[in-house]
Amino acid sequence: MSAPIELSDLQQWMQSALIEPKATSRQEIETRVRSTSRLSAVAALGIYQNSYHLRIAACMRDQFPALCYALGEGLFNDFVAEYISQAPPESYTLYDLGRRFAGFLQANRPDLDAPESEPWVDFIIDLARFERQIFSTFDCAGAEDLHLAQLTTPDPDLCVQPSLSVAAYGFPVGDYYHAVRQEKSPQPPEREPVYLAVLRKDYVTHTVPVSFAHFIFLQEMCRGGTVGSALSAVSQQLSQDLARVKLAWSEVSEIRDNWIEAGFFLDRSRA
Amino acid sequence: MTVAPAEKAGITDLPKLGLGLGLRNTHFDHILNHWPDVDWFEAISENFMDSGGRPRQVIREVAERYPVVLHGVSLSIGSSDPLDMDYLQRLKLLAQEVQPQWISDHLCWTGVMGLNSHDLLPVPLTEATLDHIAARVHRVQEILGRPLILENPSTYLDFHANTLSEPEFLRALCERTDCGLLLDVNNVFVSCFNTENDPSDYFDSFPWSRVVQMHLAGHTDCGTHLIDTHDQPVRPEVWALFALAWQRSNGASTLLEWDGNIPSFEECHRELLKAKAYMKGGLAQLTGRYAPMPGALAVSNPVNFLVPDVMAGSAELEDR
Ligand SMILES: [Fe+2]
Repeated sequence: MSAPIELSDLQQWMQSALIEPKATSRQEIETRVRSTSRLSAVAALGIYQNSYHLRIAACMRDQFPALCYALGEGLFNDFVAEYISQAPPESYTLYDLGRRFAGFLQANRPDLDAPESEPWVDFIIDLARFERQIFSTFDCAGAEDLHLAQLTTPDPDLCVQPSLSVAAYGFPVGDYYHAVRQEKSPQPPEREPVYLAVLRKDYVTHTVPVSFAHFIFLQEMCRGGTVGSALSAVSQQLSQDLARVKLAWSEVSEIRDNWIEAGFFLDRSRA
Repeated sequence: MTVAPAEKAGITDLPKLGLGLGLRNTHFDHILNHWPDVDWFEAISENFMDSGGRPRQVIREVAERYPVVLHGVSLSIGSSDPLDMDYLQRLKLLAQEVQPQWISDHLCWTGVMGLNSHDLLPVPLTEATLDHIAARVHRVQEILGRPLILENPSTYLDFHANTLSEPEFLRALCERTDCGLLLDVNNVFVSCFNTENDPSDYFDSFPWSRVVQMHLAGHTDCGTHLIDTHDQPVRPEVWALFALAWQRSNGASTLLEWDGNIPSFEECHRELLKAKAYMKGGLAQLTGRYAPMPGALAVSNPVNFLVPDVMAGSAELEDR
Protein backbone atom coordinates (compact mmCIF):
# COMPACT_ATOMS: atom_id res chain seq x y z
CA MET A 1 0.00 0.00 0.00
CA SER A 2 2.48 2.65 -1.10
CA ALA A 3 1.29 6.22 -1.41
CA PRO A 4 0.90 8.02 -4.73
CA ILE A 5 4.07 9.95 -5.48
CA GLU A 6 2.25 13.26 -5.84
CA LEU A 7 0.77 12.81 -2.36
CA SER A 8 4.10 12.13 -0.64
CA ASP A 9 5.67 14.93 -2.58
CA LEU A 10 3.01 17.44 -1.52
CA GLN A 11 3.07 16.29 2.09
CA GLN A 12 6.85 16.44 2.38
CA TRP A 13 6.76 19.91 0.92
CA MET A 14 4.00 21.13 3.25
CA GLN A 15 5.60 19.60 6.33
CA SER A 16 8.94 21.25 5.65
CA ALA A 17 7.07 24.52 5.10
CA LEU A 18 5.67 24.15 8.63
CA ILE A 19 8.96 23.24 10.25
CA GLU A 20 11.08 25.75 8.32
CA PRO A 21 8.80 28.54 7.09
CA LYS A 22 11.70 30.68 5.89
CA ALA A 23 13.01 27.98 3.56
CA THR A 24 9.79 27.97 1.51
CA SER A 25 9.56 30.34 -1.46
CA ARG A 26 6.50 32.33 -2.40
CA GLN A 27 6.63 30.85 -5.89
CA GLU A 28 6.52 27.28 -4.57
CA ILE A 29 3.57 28.14 -2.36
CA GLU A 30 1.68 29.72 -5.24
CA THR A 31 2.14 26.68 -7.47
CA ARG A 32 0.67 24.43 -4.74
CA VAL A 33 -1.93 26.58 -2.98
CA ARG A 34 -4.83 28.52 -4.41
CA SER A 35 -5.31 32.18 -3.46
CA THR A 36 -8.78 33.49 -2.68
CA SER A 37 -10.12 37.02 -2.88
CA ARG A 38 -9.37 37.50 0.83
CA LEU A 39 -6.36 35.26 1.40
CA SER A 40 -3.23 34.94 -0.69
CA ALA A 41 -1.69 31.48 -0.97
CA VAL A 42 1.16 32.64 1.26
CA ALA A 43 -1.24 33.92 3.92
CA ALA A 44 -3.31 30.72 3.80
CA LEU A 45 -0.26 28.52 4.34
CA GLY A 46 0.85 31.02 6.98
CA ILE A 47 -2.19 30.10 9.09
CA TYR A 48 -0.85 26.54 9.37
CA GLN A 49 2.73 27.69 9.92
CA ASN A 50 1.72 30.08 12.67
CA SER A 51 -0.61 27.64 14.39
CA TYR A 52 2.00 24.87 14.35
CA HIS A 53 4.44 26.92 16.40
CA LEU A 54 1.87 28.45 18.76
CA ARG A 55 0.21 25.09 19.39
CA ILE A 56 3.42 23.34 20.37
CA ALA A 57 4.67 26.27 22.45
CA ALA A 58 1.35 26.18 24.38
CA CYS A 59 1.76 22.47 25.10
CA MET A 60 5.35 22.94 26.20
CA ARG A 61 4.39 25.78 28.57
CA ASP A 62 1.84 23.44 30.12
CA GLN A 63 4.46 20.70 30.53
CA PHE A 64 7.16 23.02 31.92
CA PRO A 65 5.31 25.72 33.89
CA ALA A 66 8.13 26.38 36.39
CA LEU A 67 10.76 26.56 33.66
CA CYS A 68 8.51 28.94 31.72
CA TYR A 69 8.28 31.09 34.85
CA ALA A 70 12.08 30.97 35.37
CA LEU A 71 12.91 31.95 31.79
CA GLY A 72 9.96 34.26 31.16
CA GLU A 73 7.46 33.32 28.48
CA GLY A 74 9.30 35.09 25.63
CA LEU A 75 12.64 33.38 26.20
CA PHE A 76 10.93 30.06 26.95
CA ASN A 77 9.07 30.24 23.62
CA ASP A 78 12.34 31.06 21.82
CA PHE A 79 13.98 27.96 23.30
CA VAL A 80 10.97 25.87 22.30
CA ALA A 81 11.05 27.22 18.73
CA GLU A 82 14.71 26.23 18.42
CA TYR A 83 14.06 22.87 20.09
CA ILE A 84 11.20 22.07 17.75
CA SER A 85 13.17 23.01 14.67
CA GLN A 86 16.08 20.77 15.79
CA ALA A 87 13.89 17.96 17.10
CA PRO A 88 10.42 18.08 15.52
CA PRO A 89 7.78 16.00 17.32
CA GLU A 90 7.95 12.31 16.44
CA SER A 91 5.23 10.73 18.50
CA TYR A 92 1.46 10.54 18.15
CA THR A 93 1.23 11.61 21.76
CA LEU A 94 1.72 15.15 22.99
CA TYR A 95 3.07 13.73 26.24
CA ASP A 96 6.27 12.95 24.34
CA LEU A 97 6.86 16.59 23.35
CA GLY A 98 9.07 17.43 26.32
CA ARG A 99 11.02 14.18 26.45
CA ARG A 100 14.14 15.53 24.77
CA PHE A 101 13.94 19.12 26.03
CA ALA A 102 16.48 18.90 28.89
CA GLY A 103 18.89 17.11 26.55
CA PHE A 104 18.40 19.83 23.97
CA LEU A 105 19.12 22.54 26.54
CA GLN A 106 22.24 20.67 27.66
CA ALA A 107 23.52 20.25 24.08
CA ASN A 108 22.81 23.88 23.20
CA ARG A 109 23.84 25.58 26.44
CA PRO A 110 24.89 29.16 25.81
CA ASP A 111 28.00 28.81 28.02
CA LEU A 112 29.64 26.02 26.00
CA ASP A 113 32.71 28.14 25.27
CA ALA A 114 33.04 29.54 28.80
CA PRO A 115 35.79 28.11 31.07
CA GLU A 116 33.22 27.22 33.72
CA SER A 117 29.55 26.39 33.47
CA GLU A 118 27.15 29.21 34.30
CA PRO A 119 25.05 28.40 37.37
CA TRP A 120 21.81 29.70 35.83
CA VAL A 121 22.27 27.45 32.81
CA ASP A 122 22.84 24.45 35.07
CA PHE A 123 19.73 25.45 37.02
CA ILE A 124 17.56 25.73 33.88
CA ILE A 125 18.63 22.26 32.73
CA ASP A 126 18.01 20.75 36.15
CA LEU A 127 14.59 22.36 36.34
CA ALA A 128 13.71 20.97 32.88
CA ARG A 129 14.79 17.50 34.04
CA PHE A 130 12.76 17.77 37.21
CA GLU A 131 9.61 18.96 35.43
CA ARG A 132 9.92 16.04 33.04
CA GLN A 133 10.24 13.69 36.04
CA ILE A 134 7.08 15.18 37.56
CA PHE A 135 5.17 15.19 34.26
CA SER A 136 6.04 11.57 33.50
CA THR A 137 4.91 10.48 36.94
CA PHE A 138 1.42 11.92 36.45
CA ASP A 139 0.33 9.33 33.90
CA CYS A 140 2.86 6.47 34.01
CA ALA A 141 1.97 3.02 35.34
CA GLY A 142 1.36 3.27 39.07
CA ALA A 143 0.48 1.30 42.15
CA GLU A 144 -3.18 2.26 42.38
CA ASP A 145 -4.35 -1.24 41.47
CA LEU A 146 -1.46 -3.07 43.18
CA HIS A 147 -0.65 -4.21 46.71
CA LEU A 148 1.48 -1.65 48.51
CA ALA A 149 3.83 -3.01 51.16
CA GLN A 150 2.79 -2.83 54.83
CA LEU A 151 5.01 -1.99 57.79
CA THR A 152 5.07 -5.72 58.51
CA THR A 153 6.22 -6.72 55.01
CA PRO A 154 9.65 -8.40 55.38
CA ASP A 155 12.59 -6.73 53.61
CA PRO A 156 13.09 -9.47 50.99
CA ASP A 157 9.51 -8.86 49.78
CA LEU A 158 9.95 -5.12 49.22
CA CYS A 159 10.23 -3.83 45.67
CA VAL A 160 9.63 -0.32 44.37
CA GLN A 161 6.25 0.61 43.00
CA PRO A 162 6.11 1.38 39.23
CA SER A 163 5.84 5.18 39.42
CA LEU A 164 8.77 5.77 41.81
CA SER A 165 11.83 7.49 40.35
CA VAL A 166 14.81 9.20 41.95
CA ALA A 167 17.13 11.82 40.53
CA ALA A 168 20.07 13.94 41.65
CA TYR A 169 20.07 17.69 41.05
CA GLY A 170 22.55 20.50 41.60
CA PHE A 171 19.85 22.92 42.78
CA PRO A 172 16.81 22.70 45.04
CA VAL A 173 14.49 22.38 42.05
CA GLY A 174 11.69 20.82 44.09
CA ASP A 175 11.48 23.84 46.40
CA TYR A 176 11.60 26.16 43.42
CA TYR A 177 8.87 24.25 41.56
CA HIS A 178 6.54 24.28 44.54
CA ALA A 179 7.23 27.98 45.17
CA VAL A 180 6.15 28.70 41.58
CA ARG A 181 3.11 26.53 42.12
CA GLN A 182 2.18 28.59 45.17
CA GLU A 183 2.78 31.80 43.19
CA LYS A 184 5.54 32.90 45.55
CA SER A 185 7.66 34.39 42.71
CA PRO A 186 10.88 32.60 43.71
CA GLN A 187 14.35 33.82 42.71
CA PRO A 188 16.73 31.35 41.02
CA PRO A 189 18.30 29.36 43.87
CA GLU A 190 21.97 28.88 44.83
CA ARG A 191 23.76 25.65 44.03
CA GLU A 192 23.02 22.86 46.45
CA PRO A 193 23.05 19.12 45.77
CA VAL A 194 19.57 17.63 46.24
CA TYR A 195 18.14 14.17 45.70
CA LEU A 196 14.46 13.85 44.94
CA ALA A 197 12.19 10.85 44.94
CA VAL A 198 8.99 11.37 42.93
CA LEU A 199 6.07 8.99 43.01
CA ARG A 200 2.32 8.80 42.56
CA LYS A 201 0.01 7.44 45.21
CA ASP A 202 -3.78 7.46 44.84
CA TYR A 203 -3.31 9.58 41.70
CA VAL A 204 -1.47 12.36 43.56
CA THR A 205 2.16 13.05 42.65
CA HIS A 206 4.51 13.48 45.62
CA THR A 207 8.05 14.86 45.74
CA VAL A 208 10.17 13.59 48.61
CA PRO A 209 13.68 14.95 49.26
CA VAL A 210 16.10 12.22 50.34
CA SER A 211 19.76 12.09 51.45
CA PHE A 212 22.61 10.98 49.18
CA ALA A 213 22.76 7.54 50.85
CA HIS A 214 19.01 7.12 50.46
CA PHE A 215 19.28 8.20 46.84
CA ILE A 216 21.85 5.44 46.18
CA PHE A 217 19.63 2.95 47.97
CA LEU A 218 16.47 3.90 46.03
CA GLN A 219 18.29 4.17 42.72
CA GLU A 220 19.45 0.56 43.11
CA MET A 221 15.93 -0.53 44.00
CA CYS A 222 14.50 1.37 41.00
CA ARG A 223 16.87 -0.66 38.82
CA GLY A 224 15.12 -3.76 40.06
CA GLY A 225 17.30 -4.35 43.11
CA THR A 226 16.34 -5.74 46.50
CA VAL A 227 16.88 -4.24 49.93
CA GLY A 228 19.98 -6.45 50.13
CA SER A 229 21.52 -5.26 46.87
CA ALA A 230 20.57 -1.66 47.66
CA LEU A 231 22.40 -1.83 51.00
CA SER A 232 25.43 -3.24 49.19
CA ALA A 233 25.30 -0.34 46.72
CA VAL A 234 25.23 2.14 49.60
CA SER A 235 28.17 0.42 51.26
CA GLN A 236 30.19 0.52 48.04
CA GLN A 237 29.39 4.11 47.03
CA LEU A 238 29.92 5.53 50.49
CA SER A 239 32.93 3.24 51.17
CA GLN A 240 31.33 2.04 54.36
CA ASP A 241 31.44 -1.35 55.90
CA LEU A 242 28.44 -3.40 54.70
CA ALA A 243 27.75 -4.73 58.21
CA ARG A 244 27.48 -1.16 59.51
CA VAL A 245 25.17 -0.15 56.68
CA LYS A 246 22.91 -3.13 57.38
CA LEU A 247 22.90 -2.37 61.05
CA ALA A 248 21.94 1.27 60.39
CA TRP A 249 19.08 0.13 58.14
CA SER A 250 17.67 -2.26 60.72
CA GLU A 251 18.16 0.05 63.72
CA VAL A 252 16.67 3.19 62.20
CA SER A 253 13.35 1.77 61.06
CA GLU A 254 11.88 5.27 60.86
CA ILE A 255 13.11 5.78 57.27
CA ARG A 256 11.78 2.42 56.16
CA ASP A 257 8.40 3.03 57.82
CA ASN A 258 8.12 6.50 56.32
CA TRP A 259 8.81 5.24 52.84
CA ILE A 260 6.37 2.39 53.21
CA GLU A 261 3.67 4.75 54.42
CA ALA A 262 4.41 7.10 51.52
CA GLY A 263 3.80 4.20 49.11
CA PHE A 264 7.37 3.68 47.86
CA PHE A 265 7.18 -0.11 47.91
CA LEU A 266 5.05 -3.00 46.77
CA ASP A 267 4.81 -6.34 48.50
CA ARG A 268 6.48 -8.68 46.01
CA SER A 269 4.84 -11.74 47.60
CA ARG A 270 1.36 -10.39 46.81
CA ALA A 271 2.11 -9.38 43.21
CA MET B 1 -28.40 -5.62 -6.80
CA THR B 2 -25.97 -5.55 -3.88
CA VAL B 3 -26.80 -4.91 -0.28
CA ALA B 4 -26.53 -1.25 0.65
CA PRO B 5 -22.99 -0.87 2.02
CA ALA B 6 -24.17 1.09 5.03
CA GLU B 7 -26.26 -1.86 6.17
CA LYS B 8 -23.45 -4.33 5.61
CA ALA B 9 -21.07 -2.32 7.76
CA GLY B 10 -23.67 -1.54 10.32
CA ILE B 11 -23.26 2.20 10.61
CA THR B 12 -27.02 2.47 10.44
CA ASP B 13 -27.20 0.32 13.56
CA LEU B 14 -25.17 2.82 15.53
CA PRO B 15 -27.32 4.50 18.17
CA LYS B 16 -28.52 8.07 18.28
CA LEU B 17 -27.01 9.18 21.54
CA GLY B 18 -28.48 12.66 21.87
CA LEU B 19 -26.39 15.56 23.15
CA GLY B 20 -22.89 14.86 24.46
CA LEU B 21 -19.82 16.67 25.74
CA GLY B 22 -16.09 16.16 25.36
CA LEU B 23 -14.49 14.43 28.35
CA ARG B 24 -11.90 16.99 29.48
CA ASN B 25 -9.23 16.79 32.20
CA THR B 26 -10.49 19.99 33.83
CA HIS B 27 -13.96 18.48 34.28
CA PHE B 28 -12.91 15.13 35.78
CA ASP B 29 -13.62 16.09 39.39
CA HIS B 30 -16.98 17.61 38.56
CA ILE B 31 -18.09 14.58 36.58
CA LEU B 32 -16.98 12.07 39.21
CA ASN B 33 -18.55 14.06 42.02
CA HIS B 34 -21.86 14.89 40.35
CA TRP B 35 -22.47 12.34 37.58
CA PRO B 36 -24.16 15.12 35.57
CA ASP B 37 -27.20 14.48 33.46
CA VAL B 38 -25.47 14.54 30.06
CA ASP B 39 -26.37 12.00 27.37
CA TRP B 40 -22.87 10.81 26.44
CA PHE B 41 -19.17 11.65 26.38
CA GLU B 42 -16.57 11.80 23.65
CA ALA B 43 -13.01 11.08 24.79
CA ILE B 44 -9.88 12.00 22.83
CA SER B 45 -8.31 8.57 22.32
CA GLU B 46 -4.69 9.74 22.67
CA ASN B 47 -5.44 11.25 26.05
CA PHE B 48 -6.33 7.85 27.46
CA MET B 49 -4.70 5.11 25.41
CA ASP B 50 -1.28 5.29 27.11
CA SER B 51 -2.54 6.42 30.48
CA GLY B 52 -1.45 4.43 33.51
CA GLY B 53 -2.80 7.11 35.80
CA ARG B 54 -5.93 9.02 36.58
CA PRO B 55 -7.26 9.57 33.03
CA ARG B 56 -7.47 5.80 32.53
CA GLN B 57 -9.26 5.37 35.83
CA VAL B 58 -11.67 8.21 35.02
CA ILE B 59 -12.60 6.89 31.58
CA ARG B 60 -13.26 3.44 33.05
CA GLU B 61 -15.67 4.92 35.58
CA VAL B 62 -17.30 7.20 33.04
CA ALA B 63 -17.75 4.33 30.59
CA GLU B 64 -19.59 2.36 33.24
CA ARG B 65 -22.28 5.06 33.47
CA TYR B 66 -22.44 6.80 30.09
CA PRO B 67 -22.15 5.88 26.43
CA VAL B 68 -18.63 6.82 25.33
CA VAL B 69 -17.18 7.49 21.90
CA LEU B 70 -13.44 7.51 21.13
CA HIS B 71 -12.30 10.41 18.96
CA GLY B 72 -8.71 10.39 17.72
CA VAL B 73 -6.40 13.08 16.38
CA SER B 74 -3.36 11.01 15.37
CA LEU B 75 -4.54 8.24 13.06
CA SER B 76 -3.25 10.28 10.10
CA ILE B 77 -5.39 8.35 7.64
CA GLY B 78 -4.33 10.64 4.79
CA SER B 79 -0.57 10.40 5.33
CA SER B 80 1.81 8.95 2.78
CA ASP B 81 3.68 7.32 5.69
CA PRO B 82 2.67 3.74 6.53
CA LEU B 83 -0.10 3.33 9.10
CA ASP B 84 1.23 3.32 12.67
CA MET B 85 0.46 -0.24 13.77
CA ASP B 86 1.60 0.38 17.32
CA TYR B 87 -0.87 3.25 17.59
CA LEU B 88 -3.67 1.13 16.15
CA GLN B 89 -3.01 -1.70 18.58
CA ARG B 90 -3.10 0.67 21.53
CA LEU B 91 -6.31 2.18 20.22
CA LYS B 92 -7.77 -1.28 19.90
CA LEU B 93 -6.80 -2.15 23.46
CA LEU B 94 -8.41 1.02 24.76
CA ALA B 95 -11.55 0.19 22.77
CA GLN B 96 -11.66 -3.28 24.29
CA GLU B 97 -11.54 -1.71 27.72
CA VAL B 98 -13.94 1.19 27.18
CA GLN B 99 -16.33 -0.44 24.67
CA PRO B 100 -17.02 2.80 22.79
CA GLN B 101 -20.11 3.21 20.65
CA TRP B 102 -17.75 4.02 17.76
CA ILE B 103 -14.25 5.25 16.97
CA SER B 104 -13.66 8.38 14.93
CA ASP B 105 -10.77 10.43 13.56
CA HIS B 106 -10.31 13.06 10.85
CA LEU B 107 -9.94 13.16 7.09
CA CYS B 108 -6.43 14.57 7.36
CA TRP B 109 -2.76 13.80 7.77
CA THR B 110 -0.66 14.80 10.77
CA GLY B 111 2.86 14.28 9.46
CA VAL B 112 5.21 12.35 7.19
CA MET B 113 8.68 10.84 7.45
CA GLY B 114 8.06 9.84 11.03
CA LEU B 115 7.14 13.31 12.26
CA ASN B 116 3.89 14.56 13.79
CA SER B 117 2.86 18.19 13.48
CA HIS B 118 0.00 17.68 15.93
CA ASP B 119 -2.19 19.46 13.40
CA LEU B 120 -5.00 18.10 11.23
CA LEU B 121 -3.58 18.93 7.81
CA PRO B 122 -5.68 18.93 4.64
CA VAL B 123 -5.32 16.17 2.06
CA PRO B 124 -5.35 16.97 -1.65
CA LEU B 125 -8.83 15.98 -2.79
CA THR B 126 -7.96 13.86 -5.84
CA GLU B 127 -8.78 10.38 -7.18
CA ALA B 128 -5.26 9.22 -6.32
CA THR B 129 -5.64 10.33 -2.69
CA LEU B 130 -9.04 8.70 -2.58
CA ASP B 131 -7.57 5.34 -3.68
CA HIS B 132 -4.84 5.66 -1.10
CA ILE B 133 -7.13 6.62 1.79
CA ALA B 134 -9.81 4.08 0.88
CA ALA B 135 -7.23 1.28 1.08
CA ARG B 136 -6.10 2.53 4.47
CA VAL B 137 -9.65 2.86 5.81
CA HIS B 138 -10.22 -0.78 4.84
CA ARG B 139 -7.10 -1.78 6.74
CA VAL B 140 -8.01 0.24 9.85
CA GLN B 141 -11.52 -1.20 9.87
CA GLU B 142 -10.09 -4.70 9.62
CA ILE B 143 -7.76 -4.08 12.55
CA LEU B 144 -10.35 -2.39 14.73
CA GLY B 145 -13.10 -4.75 13.65
CA ARG B 146 -15.62 -1.95 13.28
CA PRO B 147 -16.43 0.89 10.88
CA LEU B 148 -14.26 3.96 11.10
CA ILE B 149 -16.04 7.29 11.45
CA LEU B 150 -14.25 10.20 9.75
CA GLU B 151 -14.66 13.92 10.40
CA ASN B 152 -14.39 16.80 7.96
CA PRO B 153 -11.52 18.96 9.29
CA SER B 154 -11.40 22.74 9.37
CA THR B 155 -9.29 23.90 6.44
CA TYR B 156 -7.48 27.11 5.67
CA LEU B 157 -6.27 26.42 2.16
CA ASP B 158 -7.22 24.78 -1.09
CA PHE B 159 -4.66 22.94 -3.21
CA HIS B 160 -4.48 23.63 -6.93
CA ALA B 161 -4.33 19.85 -7.28
CA ASN B 162 -7.87 19.34 -5.90
CA THR B 163 -10.26 17.81 -8.40
CA LEU B 164 -13.08 16.84 -5.99
CA SER B 165 -15.05 18.82 -3.46
CA GLU B 166 -14.85 17.62 0.14
CA PRO B 167 -18.43 16.25 0.13
CA GLU B 168 -17.73 14.42 -3.15
CA PHE B 169 -14.55 12.97 -1.71
CA LEU B 170 -16.28 11.84 1.49
CA ARG B 171 -19.22 10.37 -0.41
CA ALA B 172 -16.90 8.30 -2.62
CA LEU B 173 -14.86 7.22 0.40
CA CYS B 174 -18.00 6.03 2.21
CA GLU B 175 -19.21 4.14 -0.85
CA ARG B 176 -15.89 2.35 -1.20
CA THR B 177 -15.24 1.54 2.45
CA ASP B 178 -18.59 1.61 4.28
CA CYS B 179 -17.11 4.06 6.75
CA GLY B 180 -19.30 6.56 8.56
CA LEU B 181 -19.02 10.31 8.92
CA LEU B 182 -18.71 12.79 11.72
CA LEU B 183 -20.01 16.06 10.35
CA ASP B 184 -18.45 19.01 12.13
CA VAL B 185 -20.93 21.76 11.43
CA ASN B 186 -18.58 24.48 12.60
CA ASN B 187 -15.82 23.12 10.35
CA VAL B 188 -18.17 23.30 7.37
CA PHE B 189 -18.80 26.95 8.15
CA VAL B 190 -15.10 27.71 8.75
CA SER B 191 -13.77 25.79 5.73
CA CYS B 192 -16.41 27.17 3.38
CA PHE B 193 -15.66 30.71 4.49
CA ASN B 194 -11.90 30.21 4.10
CA THR B 195 -12.09 28.56 0.69
CA GLU B 196 -14.97 30.76 -0.55
CA ASN B 197 -17.56 28.04 -0.85
CA ASP B 198 -21.19 28.15 0.16
CA PRO B 199 -22.17 26.00 3.17
CA SER B 200 -25.54 25.28 1.58
CA ASP B 201 -23.85 23.84 -1.51
CA TYR B 202 -21.69 21.77 0.83
CA PHE B 203 -24.79 20.49 2.60
CA ASP B 204 -26.60 19.79 -0.69
CA SER B 205 -23.86 17.47 -1.88
CA PHE B 206 -23.09 15.90 1.49
CA PRO B 207 -23.82 12.15 1.94
CA TRP B 208 -26.23 12.58 4.86
CA SER B 209 -27.11 8.91 5.17
CA ARG B 210 -23.56 8.29 6.39
CA VAL B 211 -23.63 10.78 9.24
CA VAL B 212 -23.24 9.03 12.58
CA GLN B 213 -22.26 12.04 14.62
CA MET B 214 -22.01 15.83 14.50
CA HIS B 215 -19.71 18.35 16.17
CA LEU B 216 -20.51 21.85 17.29
CA ALA B 217 -17.84 24.35 18.35
CA GLY B 218 -16.98 28.04 18.47
CA HIS B 219 -14.56 29.67 16.07
CA THR B 220 -12.61 32.92 15.89
CA ASP B 221 -13.19 35.51 13.21
CA CYS B 222 -9.83 36.90 12.06
CA GLY B 223 -11.29 39.20 9.41
CA THR B 224 -9.79 37.62 6.29
CA HIS B 225 -10.40 34.11 7.59
CA LEU B 226 -12.01 32.07 10.36
CA ILE B 227 -10.05 29.86 12.74
CA ASP B 228 -11.48 26.80 14.42
CA THR B 229 -10.38 27.69 17.96
CA HIS B 230 -12.96 25.76 20.02
CA ASP B 231 -12.59 28.42 22.70
CA GLN B 232 -15.96 30.14 22.78
CA PRO B 233 -19.71 29.67 22.34
CA VAL B 234 -21.11 28.42 19.06
CA ARG B 235 -21.76 31.30 16.63
CA PRO B 236 -25.35 32.03 15.54
CA GLU B 237 -24.50 31.24 11.91
CA VAL B 238 -23.32 27.80 12.99
CA TRP B 239 -26.45 27.19 15.06
CA ALA B 240 -28.46 27.99 11.94
CA LEU B 241 -26.49 25.39 10.00
CA PHE B 242 -26.94 22.94 12.84
CA ALA B 243 -30.73 23.32 12.65
CA LEU B 244 -30.53 22.18 9.02
CA ALA B 245 -28.00 19.47 9.76
CA TRP B 246 -30.16 18.06 12.56
CA GLN B 247 -33.05 17.63 10.12
CA ARG B 248 -30.94 16.23 7.32
CA SER B 249 -29.01 13.80 9.50
CA ASN B 250 -32.20 12.60 11.14
CA GLY B 251 -31.00 13.64 14.55
CA ALA B 252 -27.45 12.27 14.57
CA SER B 253 -25.62 12.17 17.92
CA THR B 254 -24.38 15.68 18.58
CA LEU B 255 -21.39 16.82 20.58
CA LEU B 256 -20.10 20.22 21.69
CA GLU B 257 -16.31 20.69 21.57
CA TRP B 258 -14.83 23.33 23.90
CA ASP B 259 -11.06 23.04 24.13
CA GLY B 260 -9.56 26.45 24.83
CA ASN B 261 -10.36 28.66 27.87
CA ILE B 262 -12.59 25.79 28.94
CA PRO B 263 -15.34 27.09 31.24
CA SER B 264 -17.01 25.13 34.03
CA PHE B 265 -18.77 21.90 33.19
CA GLU B 266 -22.13 23.54 33.81
CA GLU B 267 -21.40 26.33 31.35
CA CYS B 268 -20.31 23.86 28.65
CA HIS B 269 -23.45 21.86 29.34
CA ARG B 270 -25.67 24.96 29.09
CA GLU B 271 -24.08 25.81 25.75
CA LEU B 272 -24.71 22.26 24.54
CA LEU B 273 -28.35 22.33 25.61
CA LYS B 274 -28.95 25.40 23.44
CA ALA B 275 -29.00 22.82 20.64
CA LYS B 276 -32.48 21.75 21.79
CA ALA B 277 -34.02 24.99 20.54
CA TYR B 278 -32.56 24.38 17.06
CA MET B 279 -33.56 20.73 16.99
CA LYS B 280 -37.18 21.80 17.10
CA GLY B 281 -36.65 23.64 13.85
CA GLY B 282 -36.15 27.09 15.34
CA LEU B 283 -33.91 28.99 12.96
CA ALA B 284 -31.37 31.37 14.39
CA GLN B 285 -31.16 34.83 13.01
CA LEU B 286 -28.21 34.97 10.64
CA THR B 287 -26.72 37.88 12.54
CA GLY B 288 -23.75 39.96 11.45
CA ARG B 289 -20.27 38.73 12.17
CA TYR B 290 -18.56 39.41 15.47
CA ALA B 291 -15.68 41.86 15.72
CA PRO B 292 -12.62 40.22 14.15
CA MET B 293 -9.48 39.60 16.20
CA PRO B 294 -5.88 39.54 14.94
CA GLY B 295 -5.21 36.17 13.34
CA ALA B 296 -1.76 35.79 14.86
CA LEU B 297 -3.28 35.09 18.27
CA ALA B 298 -5.74 32.43 17.21
CA VAL B 299 -4.59 28.81 17.03
CA SER B 300 -6.36 26.27 14.88
CA ASN B 301 -6.96 22.80 16.32
CA PRO B 302 -5.79 23.71 19.82
CA VAL B 303 -4.37 20.66 21.54
CA ASN B 304 -2.89 21.92 24.77
CA PHE B 305 -6.15 21.05 26.55
CA LEU B 306 -4.86 17.49 26.22
CA VAL B 307 -1.95 18.32 28.49
CA PRO B 308 -3.04 17.85 32.10
CA ASP B 309 -2.35 20.53 34.70
CA VAL B 310 0.21 18.40 36.47
CA MET B 311 1.39 21.27 38.65
CA ALA B 312 -2.05 21.84 40.15
CA GLY B 313 -2.45 18.12 40.77
CA SER B 314 0.81 17.50 42.60
CA ALA B 315 1.26 17.51 46.35
CA GLU B 316 3.48 19.85 48.34
CA LEU B 317 7.14 19.03 48.79
CA GLU B 318 7.36 16.52 51.58
CA ASP B 319 9.57 16.24 54.54
CA ARG B 320 10.10 12.61 55.32
FE1 LIG C 1 -14.58 18.57 15.36
